[in-house]
Amino acid sequence: MPKAFLVDTTRCTACRGCQLACKEWHDLPANATKQRGSHQNPPDLNPNNLKIVRFNERMTKEGVVVWNFFPDQCRHCITPVCVDVADMAVPGAMIKDKKTGAVLATEKSAKLSPADAKAVAEACPYNIPRIDPKTKRITKCDMCFDRVSAGMQPICVKTCPTGTMVFGEREEVLAVAQKRLAFAKERFPKAHLVDMEDVSVIYLLAEEKEHYYEYAGFM
Amino acid sequence: MNTTRRSFLKLMGVSAVGLSLGQLGFDLAEAQAYASKLKIEGAKEVGSVCPFCSVCCQIIAYVRNGKLVSTEGDPDFPVNEGALCAKGAALFSMYTNPHRLTKPLYRAPFSDKWVEKDWDWTLNQIARRVKDTRDKDMVLKNEKGQTVNRVDTLFMMGTSHASNEECAVIHQAIRSLGMVQMDHQARV
Repeated sequence: MPKAFLVDTTRCTACRGCQLACKEWHDLPANATKQRGSHQNPPDLNPNNLKIVRFNERMTKEGVVVWNFFPDQCRHCITPVCVDVADMAVPGAMIKDKKTGAVLATEKSAKLSPADAKAVAEACPYNIPRIDPKTKRITKCDMCFDRVSAGMQPICVKTCPTGTMVFGEREEVLAVAQKRLAFAKERFPKAHLVDMEDVSVIYLLAEEKEHYYEYAGFM
Repeated sequence: MNTTRRSFLKLMGVSAVGLSLGQLGFDLAEAQAYASKLKIEGAKEVGSVCPFCSVCCQIIAYVRNGKLVSTEGDPDFPVNEGALCAKGAALFSMYTNPHRLTKPLYRAPFSDKWVEKDWDWTLNQIARRVKDTRDKDMVLKNEKGQTVNRVDTLFMMGTSHASNEECAVIHQAIRSLGMVQMDHQARV
């Protein structure tokens, strides 16, 4: 049965527990960081950060400051474009696991030419894949494939202290998503679920996707 | 069903290991790129507590051959229910951090250098200074002549990581020294 995530951003406090837990589970080293005037740190996804919480701050016409948080990760698309593009160059470099629906970058992704790897990364509608300059592999969220295969939750979901993240069978998660959406709409009339039919990681946003991140949604 | 959530998860883990890789839906060669084995598989689960704030989230430390291999939130603990914030989620890195202190460091008065000391020396120093301070500053009577038996120059900083029973023992020990200034780490 395919799995799905719900990321209810109306609950996210941007504690970045998911971001850190992901690093720890995948044994990824620290990045050199510097103060850039934002809590979004590091500034973007990279081979050492498969998940980051994006911060977007703005002032509305009414003079109210709105601070939106967006825990960004691979959407594990139902029909992943990255897999199609990679298959044209190196079959098996990117695969979609039938059982869980996880989209994985395998060891073979290191065999992609720099141009092909770039094409795979740029094909992603959500700007997720990054190329590790050392191993030449494509790096991205792997849905904690080892944990999920063993019947456990992905570490980001397990760690989330606010219930922003939900993981489970797709049908069940879709039902939770609709419930959460109805609840969120009472407070945020523009609340909506992003690209629900096409992805396994469904975001619930309180307002237009532009107020979160350029690549927050595709449709 | 007479099974706890943890034992259920363990059962799930065992059944997943029993699956052949072919059943996972793609070629064996491609699957090899992905760890077929969980990094915490077979590791002993040791209960521990996050050392940072006063919430004291409980964590499971996974230990194999006497070495910590991973940490995550304890789903059976009612306070955090398996969740952790960014600090708690990064406990494993704190353990492996090369900057982590593993021995007591001592800086003598007016010195600008830290010197490594062993625990025996350190604990003796602390005991010596507590005793000297108490001997010097013990007040038996206040200006009204009432018996007070207190030391105003020592201060006790408690911790929310201590249980009720531990707090009772610590409290009695501290009171027996005549200490009256106490506070708690959760307030600072």
